[in-house]
This record gives sequence, C-alpha cells and structure tokens, in this order.
Amino acid sequence: MEIIEKIKTNKLIDKQTEIQKICLNKLKSSPLPNPKSELWRLSNKSKFSNCLNYSINEKNPKYNIPFPENSQNAIRLIIGENCQIKLINENYSIQQLSEDELNKYIKQQIACFDQNENWSDLLNLSLSSTKNFLGLKINGSKIPPIEIFSHASSNSLNAKTLVIFLEKNCAIELLQVNLGKENSSLSQSTFFLLEENSSVNHGVVSYGENRSNLLNSLNVIQQKNSEYNLGSLHFKFNYARFEISIKQSAGNAKTNIKGMQITKKDEQISTYTKIDFNGPNGFLDQINKSLADDKSHAIFEGSIIVPKIAQKTDASQLSRNLLLSNLAQIDTKPQLEIIADDVKCKHGATISQLNEEELFYMRTRGITLPEASKLQLSSYFQEIISFIPVSKDRWDLLDKLLNEN
Amino acid sequence: MVNENLVKDVVKKPYKYGFVTDIETEKISKGLNEDIIRLISEKKEEPQYLLDFRLKAFKKWQKMDEPDWAGLGYKQIDYQDIIYYSAPKQKEKISSLDEVDPKLLETFDKLGIPLTEQKKLTNVAVDAVFDSVSIATTFRDELAKHGVIFCSISEAVKNHSDLIEKYLGTVVPASDNYFAALNSAVFSDGSFVYIPKGVTCPMDLSSYFRINSGDTGQFERTLIIAEESSSVSYLEGCTAPMFDTNTLHAAVVELIALDDASIKYSTVQNWYAGDEEGVGGIFNFVTKRGKCLGKRSKISWSQVETGSSITWKYPSCLLLGEESIGEFYSVALTNNLQQADTGTKMIHIGPKTKSTIVSKGISAGNSINSYRGLVKMGRKAAGSRNYSQCDSMLIGDQASANTFPYIKSQQSNSEIEHEASTCRISEDQLFYLQSRGIEFEEAVSMMVSGFCRDVFNQLPMEFAAEADKLLALKLEGSVG
Repeated sequence: MEIIEKIKTNKLIDKQTEIQKICLNKLKSSPLPNPKSELWRLSNKSKFSNCLNYSINEKNPKYNIPFPENSQNAIRLIIGENCQIKLINENYSIQQLSEDELNKYIKQQIACFDQNENWSDLLNLSLSSTKNFLGLKINGSKIPPIEIFSHASSNSLNAKTLVIFLEKNCAIELLQVNLGKENSSLSQSTFFLLEENSSVNHGVVSYGENRSNLLNSLNVIQQKNSEYNLGSLHFKFNYARFEISIKQSAGNAKTNIKGMQITKKDEQISTYTKIDFNGPNGFLDQINKSLADDKSHAIFEGSIIVPKIAQKTDASQLSRNLLLSNLAQIDTKPQLEIIADDVKCKHGATISQLNEEELFYMRTRGITLPEASKLQLSSYFQEIISFIPVSKDRWDLLDKLLNEN
Repeated sequence: MVNENLVKDVVKKPYKYGFVTDIETEKISKGLNEDIIRLISEKKEEPQYLLDFRLKAFKKWQKMDEPDWAGLGYKQIDYQDIIYYSAPKQKEKISSLDEVDPKLLETFDKLGIPLTEQKKLTNVAVDAVFDSVSIATTFRDELAKHGVIFCSISEAVKNHSDLIEKYLGTVVPASDNYFAALNSAVFSDGSFVYIPKGVTCPMDLSSYFRINSGDTGQFERTLIIAEESSSVSYLEGCTAPMFDTNTLHAAVVELIALDDASIKYSTVQNWYAGDEEGVGGIFNFVTKRGKCLGKRSKISWSQVETGSSITWKYPSCLLLGEESIGEFYSVALTNNLQQADTGTKMIHIGPKTKSTIVSKGISAGNSINSYRGLVKMGRKAAGSRNYSQCDSMLIGDQASANTFPYIKSQQSNSEIEHEASTCRISEDQLFYLQSRGIEFEEAVSMMVSGFCRDVFNQLPMEFAAEADKLLALKLEGSVG
C-alpha cells in the first residue's frame, strides 16, 4: 500500500497545510483502521489494499463529464478544476468560505474524529490539497440547482473535499456526482452544516468504471428545524464505501434518506450510516436498498442512536435487499441504541429475490423473462432514483442501471 | 401523565430466593490449573478420554482472551479466586431420596421444587443440581420403562459412556469460545437426557440449578440427545443466594435432534441480580446450542431471563437437516444496574430450513438490555426462510434498549425478514385500564404480560405459570 508506506515515513506531501499536518499526525501512529472493528470487519482486505495502492495525484487533467451539459440555469462546479465562485444577487449569495472559516470548522470536526469511524475522513483530509478543497457558504432563496462533480484520474488516487455551510432559512437542491476512472481511487469527503430552518435536497450519484475504487464519506450537522433529504446511488465500483454520519445537534430536525447500491461481478460496495439524535423531536425515515448479482458483495450497516435527551424521537430504518445470484453475498445490520423512553423507533430488514409469482404473471401475459425481470427491477430502482434531485429528468439513470449494468 | 416514580416503585421488588442453606460442603481449594482439573476428574472417577477432553480444553482456554465485543462493563474476573468444585457432604451412594440430606430437600422445597415422593409435581421429572453436583433425580424408574435416560451427567459418564464419548463437545466444541472452553475444562455436573428412537417422552423433564456458595463458580453441562422420531420437552430453572460478591456461572448446553425429532428447551432464569447499586449478582455467561442434524428435526428455545447481574447468552440452532426448524422465543427483563446481552443465532445450512425468532426486552432502572442475533443463510440453504421480531419496552428514562441483528445471506433462493420496534408503556392504555377501576400496579403488570404474551404462549404450562409469577414478582409483587 503505497500511500500508507508514505504516511508512515512522512514522505507523502511536501508542503503540508495545517489541516494536513494534524491529520497526518493522527494517522502516523496507526495508519490503518482496525480490521476487527464493526465498520471494517466485512471489508475485503485485498480490495481495500488495492484501493490504497496508487500514488497521490494532485493534478486534475481535463475531464469530459459524461453527463449532458445542463440546459437550465443550474450551477455546475468541478472540484479541482473550476471551483472559483462568487455569485451574489438580490435573492441569494453563493460564496467561497475563507481559509480561516474552513480551517476552524474542519479542526472542530477532527477533534471528535474516531480512528475507525472517521478513518476515511482522516485520510481524505491528509491528502486533499488546497486546490481540491471546495468550501461554500450559501444563503438566500430561489437558488438554482447546484451540481458538484468530483472525479478520479486513471492510475492514481485523488482526494477531494467539499464543505458547505447552509445559512438560516435557505433551501437548495444539490447533486453531487462522484466519477470513477479505470484503475483509480477517489477519496471524497463532504461536510454539511445546516443552520436553523434550512433545507437541502441532496443527491449523491457515484458512478464508477472498470476497477475503480471509492471512499466516500458524508458528515452532516443539522441544527433546529432543518430538513435534510438524501438520495444516493452507488454502482460500478470494484470497491466502494459510503459512510454517512448525520447529527441532529439540537433535535427538532427532519432527515430522510433513500440510498441504493448495486453490485455485479466481484464488486464490493458498502454503506454505513450513523444517525445521532442529540435533541428532542427528531425525525428519521431511512431506506437502504442493495442489489447483489454474480459474485459480488453488498453490505449495509445502519445505526440509530437515541440518547436520553432525544425524547419524542421518531425514527425508522429499513434495509431491503435483493440477492440475485447464489455466489453473491449480502450482509445487513440495522441497529438501534436507545436510552430515551418516550420514542418511537423501529427497523426492518429483508433479503429475498425477485418475486416469482409476479414474474410468472408477466410471462403468462407474453412478456419474456428478461423483460419481466427488468420491469421488476425498474420498480425496485425507481423509488430511490425518483428521490435524487435534478438528475431524474435529464440523466436517465434508470436506463443506465438497467441496460449498462 | 404516567408517574415515573410510581412505575419505578412497581419494578423494585425484593429477591425472594436470596437465602443461604447452611450445609456442610466439600470444597477444593481456589484456583485453576491442571492439577485442579485432574482432581475434579478424579473425584468424579472419570475415564481417561474425559480427562483428556478437559485438559485439551484448558490448554485452549489459556490461549484465549476474554471476549469484549458485547461491551459489557464489569470488573475483571479473577479466575484464580474461584472454587471450581463444591459439593454438599453426604453418604457416598444414595439409593433413595430418603437418604438425601433433609436440609437439601428443604432448600428445594422452599424454592418451590419438591423432590420428596409425596410432593412430587405430577408429570415433571426433576434433576436438582446444588452447587457443583446433582443431588437427586425424580421419576427415573417411570422414565426407564420408556427407555428414556434422565440422569446427572456424572452418572451418564459412568453408565452410558459410549453416548457421552460420541456426542460431548460435538455441538459446542471446547474451543468454541472463552467461556465454553472454561466450562469444558472444569464442568462439574449437569443433566443428561437420551430419548430413544420413536419415543415421545411421557413427561416434561426439568433441571433445577441452585448456587449456594458465594465463592464457587457453577459450571454445569447439559446434553440432550433425541433419536429419530422422538420428542422431549425440557425445563430449566435457576436461583442463587444474595452475596456481595459476583459469582460466575458458565454453563454449556448441547442439544442434538436426529430425523423427525423435536426438542423443546425452556428456561426460567432467576439468578440473583445484585442489589440496587449493582453490588453482587451472578455473571451468567452461557453457551447454548442445538444441532438439527436430521431431516425435519426441530429445536425450540424459549427463555425468560429476569435474573443475573450480567447475562451473556445466545441460544442457537444449527439447521443442517433438510426441512429442519429452529425457534427462539425470549423475554428478557432487566432492572437496576443489570445488563443483558442476549439473542440467538440461526445458521441455515441445509435446504428448506426454517427459523422463527421472537424476542421481547423490557428495560427498567439503569439497566441495559440488548438483543444481538445472527441469521445466516449458507450457500446450500435453498428455499429457507427466517422471520425475526424484536420488540423492546422502556420503563423510565435511564434504561437502555439496543438491537443488533446481524443478517447474512449467501443464498438467493431464501428469504429473511427482520423487524424491530421500541416503545414505552402506553399512557392511553394505562389510563383506560385505570379508568376501568384497575389498580396502577396491576395495569402495568397486565400490559407487560400482554407485551410478552407471544413468548409465554410458547412456554410449557408449569413454566408459563412460573414465568408470569416471576414477572409479577419483579413487577408488582402481589399478582400470582
């Protein structure tokens, strides 16, 4: 593991920023997460080490985004390429965060990082150079949809970081697209701060190519009366991790998550979510879907933590999984940790295959087996895809999933 | 508005079985080493293969680390400060119950387990285990007529050595886990049941475990073998006196069901749970596992866990035979500073296997009550199904209820369903009951009893009554 060796010997980066210094220092003593810890025990070791076996690339060669250029007035930013932005008009303003603001916030976050839980963030912040660090401060209303792209380049590891402060009473639609390249690794960390009464429709689409890897982490802090909606989709990665941590810092916030991961061949994609309710009247509705085919492995681990202070929390978590091959494997572990007594919490998990009766019915109506399977799958996918903002009309994700995959 | 204090008062009831029987016992010195193991084996006049089994287990145990993954907080156990063998002194051979020390009979009488001929419970055969040894087994002749063997494991070692040699350690190998290895090295007694081919056991079998000495660990081992087309229902109960120190209980239970056989294993666990400050109480670290070896075999675990300072227990089923069935029904009640980490493992290996899990957890006081379970579908388990339901009820805002289900599937032609929910005692329902003239205490008890109904329905008659009584004792004192 090239990267790890360099971290150990401190030969990774010449000119280190303050944040990089702190994170590298944290990683130096134990540069790898504990493989026995809950978050890492199912991770495929050879794939993981392969993911780290690239040299770091701070340059960003020109990259043609495979998604159509938007025709509407959406704002498109590519991290590392063209992320200079300052838009101020009568309704809203989108500005870059100052270095001080960024450093202060990130340092606060690092202070409560755990070696295993936040290892991906520590690695990302160690590697992400100023150029690949995008910080935005958004306020106002009638904000056009925003699209932010992160992409990897072949035969290297790229680290990109995104920090967004959403100020009071502000609502946005944001689509984040992570693109893998052949034989590459992408480390993407996103930090979101939602101030009071703000709301986000956040879409995360991670779309890989042959033998591409992804370490994607998302840290959200929700203040009072904020609403965070996340629709995510991860597919076509040899090895991918999506780590979501959401903290409702003072309760009274709403979180909706609909995520999906699709694995084929010998891929391994995992999603880890941790939802922390730190105040009363919190709300969560989460559904995570997995589909595993061929020899692949899909993993979901979700934890809901409701301390004493979080009375009247209403949380539900559902893990639905389709296992399409006898050589594939699905692991799922939804979990509840509850101390408050006046709460409504529930979770559920199912693992099954395509419904045979429905398939049979369609075939009696003259629909071929592959078409009938596709129809079933499309309804399975549609629930998640329709929750992803912006993309749903212009990019035919459903078509991509059904035909390309 | 529910008065929190009132609910708390309701769940605070004293432990009824905390008395100590003053009886002369024979104890060996404290500590654990090869000599101690040889001494235990010698005292029990065991054959060489069993001594080898013990020594091998001990070697493995020495190399193992105490598990910490359950995150249970307890003081480090000093394994050299425990007495591994303690037996009430009595005449060497007992030919009838009349020769058993009357004090012992009195003890079991007090616990509601009459062993004397006149008072025997009808239709339940009892094996009573006091500290490290079995003191009496009732109804043996009656059972022998049907070919059923029901005796202490020490007797089985002497009289049915071939069966012990064939099956001991085949379900829970000595190296399975830390506490199973410890048990394999030092187990003192326990029950042995053998149901021959085609026999439906004419009565329920029961073991009653009593810890009497404060410094003695209890390490019993139970082995139940159900031959083809046989069936048996086995009940287990346990109590211990109140001591300020923690006592270790590390048992191993192995069940084997062959073709078309069925075993129902029910437990009402009421070890001393420690006082309100969490001082004293039993550390209940138990490994229970059943192997559905035969086609269409069935193993059903039902348990009511109310005692112990710490419970670490996952009764499991290995479903090997085609169309075999595993079931787990559990009620776990924790109060004060009790910690319970319990659940089950359903490992589906054979095709068309089925399992059902129903777990109800009630946490009160400052206790921690966790469900931890594994459902695994192996590659050959085509057409298998699992259904799990885990509900938790919280009483008071200091208690914690956790659910950790591990679900793993490698078989596309199988189905797994899991659901879990957490709630509190509904104020509306309480109000309704009270408005109908039902006392607050009784209303709470009724609701808890209703919450656990799915599990109680699975318990054998005698036990369902005892379980209700137990919950009543813990929850309201007067009912029952």
